[in-house]
Amino acid sequence: MASLGNSAISTPAAQALYRRRRRSNGILLTLSFAATIFGLLWLALILIALFYQGFSGLSLSIFTEMTPPPGEAGGLLNAIIGSLIMTIAGVAIGTPIGILAGTYMAEYGRHNQLTNVVRFINDILLAAPSIVIGLFVYEVVVAPMGHFSAIAGSLALAILVIPVVVRTTEDMLNLVPNTLREASAALGLPRAVMIRQVAYRAALSGIVTGVLLAIARVSGETAPLLFTALNNQFWSVDPNAPMSSLPVTIFQFALSPYPEWQKLAWSGALLITIAVLALNIIARTFLSPRTSK
Amino acid sequence: MMQSAVAPNALPEKISIKNLKFFYGDSLALKSINLPLYEKKVTAFIGPSGCGKSTLLRVLNRMYDLYPRQRAEGEVLFDGGNILNPGQDLNLLRARIGMVFQKPTPFPMSIYDNIAFGIRLYENISRAEMDARVEAALTRAALWNEVKDKLSSSGLSLSGGQQQRLCIARSIAVRPEVVLFDEPCSALDPISTAKIEELIDELTADYTIAIVTHNMQQAARVSDYTAFMYLGELIEFDETSKIFTAPSDKRTQDYITGRFG
Amino acid sequence: MSEHIVSRYDDELKDVQRRIAEMGGIAERLVDLSVTALTRIDTVMANTVIMEDRRLDEIQRQCEEEAIRIIARRQPMALDLREVIGAMRISNDLERIGDLAKNNAKRVLALDGQFQSKRFMTGVEHMAELSLAQLKDVLDAYATRDVHQAFEVWKRDADIDSMYTSLFRELLTYMMEDPRNISLCTHLLFCAKNIERIGDHTTNIAETVHYVVTGEALTQDRPKQDESSVTTVTYADN
Repeated sequence: MASLGNSAISTPAAQALYRRRRRSNGILLTLSFAATIFGLLWLALILIALFYQGFSGLSLSIFTEMTPPPGEAGGLLNAIIGSLIMTIAGVAIGTPIGILAGTYMAEYGRHNQLTNVVRFINDILLAAPSIVIGLFVYEVVVAPMGHFSAIAGSLALAILVIPVVVRTTEDMLNLVPNTLREASAALGLPRAVMIRQVAYRAALSGIVTGVLLAIARVSGETAPLLFTALNNQFWSVDPNAPMSSLPVTIFQFALSPYPEWQKLAWSGALLITIAVLALNIIARTFLSPRTSK
Repeated sequence: MMQSAVAPNALPEKISIKNLKFFYGDSLALKSINLPLYEKKVTAFIGPSGCGKSTLLRVLNRMYDLYPRQRAEGEVLFDGGNILNPGQDLNLLRARIGMVFQKPTPFPMSIYDNIAFGIRLYENISRAEMDARVEAALTRAALWNEVKDKLSSSGLSLSGGQQQRLCIARSIAVRPEVVLFDEPCSALDPISTAKIEELIDELTADYTIAIVTHNMQQAARVSDYTAFMYLGELIEFDETSKIFTAPSDKRTQDYITGRFG
Repeated sequence: MSEHIVSRYDDELKDVQRRIAEMGGIAERLVDLSVTALTRIDTVMANTVIMEDRRLDEIQRQCEEEAIRIIARRQPMALDLREVIGAMRISNDLERIGDLAKNNAKRVLALDGQFQSKRFMTGVEHMAELSLAQLKDVLDAYATRDVHQAFEVWKRDADIDSMYTSLFRELLTYMMEDPRNISLCTHLLFCAKNIERIGDHTTNIAETVHYVVTGEALTQDRPKQDESSVTTVTYADN
């Protein structure tokens, strides 16, 4: 401000305008900061509550013992294993479908109407409440079969995985520069070879990130499993029978009047949170630009 | 419109462009182009932005086929056959007519694989033969000495100029007959540019080359023949020395002397 | 011709052309003065020529520097390239013409006080008139970019050449008539040779003008009439 010379900003009117802008800038900055703090505060409170309530219950027995009947000590082994099985199955079913669909949209159907329709529907699916998907699978799988099953649970999770993977695959392939496609074509590469050898390689980290995020998303889902895999008090790895899972167990135990169950519910919630957090961190490191390959 | 006084010494034409028209949707981007690319000569396309020079280059390997609503009419004879025929096998065509782009485009794989990739597509050769082919291509592209100790590191780890030479090596590794350069040096520093120009000069021993460039001095330096294009038309085509010392069309003169607009 | 997008470039080219015009004026004057000084054996005038030639050299150097600067900084193409190269060549020719005029002026100083005869001078004077007219014409042709006029100058150089050949014979004859003429006639021979050389430089300029305008060199063989190198005059055997 010392010597502005003859520039336009040296007039008193310009100075006043400039001061006013600085003032409004300061006010907005403060407000935004406060809003950020407000949002983060709740997140912090949740984490603190989770650790406070759940950490004391964490012990080896959580991972070695089955869910107990009311009033007895026990663990969450069957729920953890059930969650793992159904999540892995769901991802295993959903990922290939999602990647293939995303590939079609980004590489083959980029300019056609079908892609636009699919993208629109996919976005709806992405935002659909998971309970709706649970109900849907209940209608088309559980009801005809006549009983709840891990298969139905896996299918419900797969349906949740697909839109996430479709979206990230398409986005990541769209980020692959067109020059790379042209360069491949200029060498005489058929399009399929180009996609497999060049586009996938270039988009690999993004696609993996998408899958990790999908896993994080479904591993905490309760509603679709309530209608499909239900729950199981006991050890079961039979895909054709009801299977226990962490979210449903937490749901059931947290609502119960028994303090042991409530304690186990907190511990289970902490486990899921840590797992999701870990997945997110891994996904982030995957996406960050690598210094060397 | 065209004032071509050329058929000086009846050089063999590797590619003959006849009455070529090109459309983006409904708009006419190239208006009846007639032009030869002489065998084992460098032909430069110059002209202001949007004059159609890149479009013309991308017709020669049918790159425009990757995009909808683009089409070409007329004839582009390559060793006698019209490459605009619907039945033309594009992958085979592009293996015979290579292309190097404005931005270096190494594939996200090792330096070695960048070269070997294209070769594997059409030839099934032993590891030893492949090593020899990779070395030959990198040597030809004046890159071998700089990368021979790090063939397994990523192509993306090279500098811009090296990446561009890697792309040239990749192109010539599949043994094309024609190499198209689309502003190959516009993203490079002067030293890297000089290396690419030297390389282009050496490649003329075996290849027919077409180069699009915004840099007129570059066209003057590297080419044997120069085509000046303006608003989708070929205004003048002649020997480079003639174009840059005594062009016959006023528009060419105005453009290359910096009087345009 | 429309102007360059970079206006400074136009200024630089005009600057070079302005220097050429200035040099042309000086060169004409030097040739004119040197011949007058010769025919009148006027040492004052001769000294003026010698002095003024330095100025010509100086402008020639500036002109060349400017041309080199343009080549380095603007990378002239086509017409502009020919213009700059033309300016370099023409300034060189004009500078040489100035040197030749100066050489004639120096000979005037040497001839001062020696035996003179007006009749010896007329041939040289005629030749000088013709070559001066040629020089004027070619400078006009350069200024107006007139290829036709330049071509005419180019063809007419033959006249100067044949004039020189006959003057050569004439002066040899004078020398044979009377050995006292030898000193003067030898100097006059050199002066005539210098004027003939001025004609050659004028022709060079004409060729340059042709190149600047058309972009093509004048390749056909110029009619050569200078046969002095194969000319001898023998004593009449009597």
